[in-house]
Amino acid sequence: MSDPVISLRGLSKRFGPVWANREVDLDLFPGRVHALLGENGAGKSTLMSILAGRYGADKGTVMMHGQEVTFSSPAKALDHGIGMVYQRFMLIESMSVADNLALTVGKKYGRRGVDYEIRQTAEQYGLSVDPEKRIFELSMGERQRVEIIKLLMLDAEVLIFDEPTSVLTPPEVDALFVIIDRLRGEGKTIVLITHKLEEVLKLADDISIMRKGRLIISEPIDARQMSRQQLARLMVGRDVVLRVDKKEVALGETVLALDGFSGDSPSGGPSFNEVTFEIRKGEIFSIIGVAGNGQTGLVSAIAGLSRAGAGTITFDGTSYTAREWAMASAAEIAYVPEDRYQSGSIGSMSIAENFGLTRLQAYRSGLAGLLLDRQKMAADGRRAIGEHNIKVESSEASAGSLSGGNLQKVILARELTRKAKLFIAEQPTQGLDISATEDIWQALLECREKAGVLLVTGDLKEVLSLSDRIGVIFNGRILEIIDAHDGDRVDRVGLLMAGVRS
Amino acid sequence: MIEDLTFIAQISIKSSVAVLLATVGGIITERSGVLNLGIEGMMLVGALAGFAAGHFTQSPMVAVAAGTMAGGALSLVHAFFTIALRSNQVLSGLALTILGTGLANFLGRPLIGQTGVRIRQLPIPYLSDIPVIGEVFFNQSPFAYAAYLLVPLAWFVLFRTRTGLVLRAVGEDARSADVAGVNVELTRTLSVFVGGLFAGLAGTYLSLSYTPGWKETMTGGQGWIAIAMIIFCTWNPLLAFFGALLFGGLTALQFFFQATSMDLIPSYVLKMLPYLLTIGVLVLVSASSRHRKSASPADLGVPFYREL
Amino acid sequence: MIRVAKRKQPLRYQGAVATFSAVAIALVVGCVIFAALGVNPLTAYTAMGKGVLSSVDAFSEVLVKATPLIFTGLAVATAATMMLWNIGAEGQLVWGGIFAAGTALFLFPGLDGWLLIPLVLAASALGGMVWSLVPALLRAKLRVNEILTTLLLNYVAIIYMEHLFYGPWRDPAGYGFPGTAQIPEAAQLVRFGGTRISIGFPLALLCAVFLYYLLKKSIWGYQVQVIGKEQRAAHYAGFNVTGKILTVMALSGAFAGLAGMTEVCGIHYRLQTGLAVGYGYDGIIVAWLAGLNPLAVPFAAILLGALFVGGEQLQSVLGLPSSISLILEGALLFGLFAGQTLARYTLTFSSRSEVPS
Repeated sequence: MSDPVISLRGLSKRFGPVWANREVDLDLFPGRVHALLGENGAGKSTLMSILAGRYGADKGTVMMHGQEVTFSSPAKALDHGIGMVYQRFMLIESMSVADNLALTVGKKYGRRGVDYEIRQTAEQYGLSVDPEKRIFELSMGERQRVEIIKLLMLDAEVLIFDEPTSVLTPPEVDALFVIIDRLRGEGKTIVLITHKLEEVLKLADDISIMRKGRLIISEPIDARQMSRQQLARLMVGRDVVLRVDKKEVALGETVLALDGFSGDSPSGGPSFNEVTFEIRKGEIFSIIGVAGNGQTGLVSAIAGLSRAGAGTITFDGTSYTAREWAMASAAEIAYVPEDRYQSGSIGSMSIAENFGLTRLQAYRSGLAGLLLDRQKMAADGRRAIGEHNIKVESSEASAGSLSGGNLQKVILARELTRKAKLFIAEQPTQGLDISATEDIWQALLECREKAGVLLVTGDLKEVLSLSDRIGVIFNGRILEIIDAHDGDRVDRVGLLMAGVRS
Repeated sequence: MIEDLTFIAQISIKSSVAVLLATVGGIITERSGVLNLGIEGMMLVGALAGFAAGHFTQSPMVAVAAGTMAGGALSLVHAFFTIALRSNQVLSGLALTILGTGLANFLGRPLIGQTGVRIRQLPIPYLSDIPVIGEVFFNQSPFAYAAYLLVPLAWFVLFRTRTGLVLRAVGEDARSADVAGVNVELTRTLSVFVGGLFAGLAGTYLSLSYTPGWKETMTGGQGWIAIAMIIFCTWNPLLAFFGALLFGGLTALQFFFQATSMDLIPSYVLKMLPYLLTIGVLVLVSASSRHRKSASPADLGVPFYREL
Repeated sequence: MIRVAKRKQPLRYQGAVATFSAVAIALVVGCVIFAALGVNPLTAYTAMGKGVLSSVDAFSEVLVKATPLIFTGLAVATAATMMLWNIGAEGQLVWGGIFAAGTALFLFPGLDGWLLIPLVLAASALGGMVWSLVPALLRAKLRVNEILTTLLLNYVAIIYMEHLFYGPWRDPAGYGFPGTAQIPEAAQLVRFGGTRISIGFPLALLCAVFLYYLLKKSIWGYQVQVIGKEQRAAHYAGFNVTGKILTVMALSGAFAGLAGMTEVCGIHYRLQTGLAVGYGYDGIIVAWLAGLNPLAVPFAAILLGALFVGGEQLQSVLGLPSSISLILEGALLFGLFAGQTLARYTLTFSSRSEVPS
């Protein structure tokens, strides 16, 4: 093997108290595809963002062709030939491909020159794209190609792809892999940041696995002939499973049943397909998956905030088609959303006022129920503060002044008082410290005594501690539903999260 | 009959120049994503500055330059607040109109009734002799001729040059433009300034040529019409020519009906038409933007923050 | 490049900081203008102040000016609470005046005061409401930006009003002055003790209190505030945003319509030029100076009213054009921006944009 193009040595980066990258050593070689694997929060995006010039490392060095380099901006990194294709494309929708590229590259070539260069580059690398088409007319795969062409036109030698397949359809994924193969053939250095093991095994030459900011292994893919199971285990780790006090609870009637539930995500993210499962009162059913596999759209549709395309949903005994469900407003479903700052609460309002958000009917008073019963809201707020150990002086404190944990407790308390039959918790302990996490877990466990709980998360520890049954979501489908008592559940879940079916 | 029509057409053009210039300037500003409701204020300030400079220096060139620059200078206040301080663009524009109106009326009080420089119509040799067309198009003030040149120039710069591409990119998706290395703040500031220059020029036309002199209600709401016109012609300078002509035509028709006591269309309906038509266009534009081909710059009115 | 970072917690008393900065900058701008004209700023400001506070009569004029400003300020504040821009208060005011004059002159000319006045009030509120519902519907159903539609409709309203009092509603005994006939005495609002203050003023104060309690104490008000503060939370909570757009704009238009009524029935006693003098636009300034707080609106309105009266005084005493009030008004608003920015953001200069994930 030739000399590495890029060498990272001892790279470390922190954000506040958290070390996103710790002492990472990595080599990248020309003409090879390097897969950088890991779960959410493993540190892979951060690492590559440092390479691509978006962040500066706190410790360590980056070397290119043997010379130490530092990039103060993505533009500088591009000057050196390092570019990144992000998950969110930075393209102007209403303008044409040619115009978009002219914006970045135009100074170099002039307007006529740009058109010519686009065609040259496209031909050289097998990227078919119509320069006159406007971005909004293009599919995700085509837009991605535009981003690739952009980098190539800027003479990028190292191309980093951040979760490139998360927005692509299966045929587009195949097309992308053909392109990457071609790029490799032309001597480019490719990095694929991903959590999808299966895909990567087909394409990668070298593989690195990161976990909690550290590089676990980094070697050519055929060096040790590891099985995919072994690789998946390295990604997920043998985490200590917290023993949480789980009281035995009798199972009750079915609260929620989905059959063939399919649809798109409201903001254009990944869709979900043919989702089928049941939740009964007394159990915690978890859906676990790496972010961006369709969970957001699924939860949104179940909670009635967006409309699914097909399938049926049965809630509390009554069946609805996807369309009917979106119209049905009466269903009482408690929902703790992932976005606790902008959806789940209103920072500029007080805790008491936030209680009214999803419980407005309970606070109607006065003639014709037109008035707001603020005393009752304040009382409920105070009770919640006492019951859930929220550290704040009064229920008049603004929600925005609360710490993440306390805010989540407020939202949780509010949703619990709704006494709904189905309780949805979406990434409930994301970003919270240990004690808040444990409090919330306890609350969720208690909640299942009166309802069926749907827990949607990417946190394996959480899922293993709380669930009765676990559904793993990948590419919009529930691959398998695993019972929590299964002996090898950790391995199986980990594999499935990486897309590896046994 | 031909004479009447020719006369109406000539007046139409005359009456459309101010709105046309202000509209084209406004298009440039809004294309970069900044909403500037202060056009009326900038025009008034330009009108006063032009008139005052003309009154004191008796030089047409200085007068035009002064008026134009005055509009540009006032626009920088808006640029500072909305771009540097990220203040609300609607409020800033309104405040600008109020401030501009106040400044112009205040400083212009002593000049009411005074005489300044007058820029008269300038028939272009040979061209103005062409029957009908010559009289209508080539027997106008130099401002009109300037408009004839500036309108296609603006279109060309916006749609056929890199400067225009950058400007439009900033108005469509400031974040992407920023990532591509464009200096969003500078681009927007310059576009606001150019818009101010155009508005100042438009005002100068009014006080030096159209209704020479200084009156406190000089602009008569034409600044607001320009704002409507920007939308009416879907942010396209070439269409602005026709839109302004429509407005000018309606104005001319009003004069004509008044002068000849004809009453084909009630004058109040004529007056309302520009506004009602603009609302109609707005509805059409919004309805068609379902197909993501919205004619309005997508980032219009949205302050730009580099970080989330 | 300038990096703007939101402060973790806005400066305490950000409202006070903003107002203070507004007044400070306005005063400074005024000083500059006066000095540039060779007038001692102190003399000028004293003249303005005297003009406002020297007598009961003088101060009463401030309240007279403030009355329509309170109504339009409430109109704008109502809409702005839900992040809707009602730039059309001017036109809604005009329609309020049209409906008021029409009701008094043509619909029920013979009625007694105690019956007629409530009818006229209701009519004017209706007039303003109708005019605000047009852009509201366009916004709610077709997503048409209300900033532009409300603005454009102002012109349509004024043109139509002028048509009315120059044409079909013209006073037959008017000696050529444009305007309707005088409204019957029964419709003329009683004026208090020699001043021009009518029940319009206390009515305006009542409306301010009403709006305050409506927003604070009703379910409707709660939902409006939620939608205005955090659209995503409102969506999460399942609030009917479309319906609220309509009701909010209707109430907004009604307030503006009342402004028209108090001007027609309390000041001019007829529909004529001088109704549409910009109170609708000034209402925007009033609403923002008051921080969108209904209880603060009367104070902001009185401040602006004092500014106008003071400006007129400046004209008669020192011979300076009264348009100084416009300059100060504009400066006030810009000063408010500066103060708001100071209170909410920190401005730093940096060469790199670093965004933690």
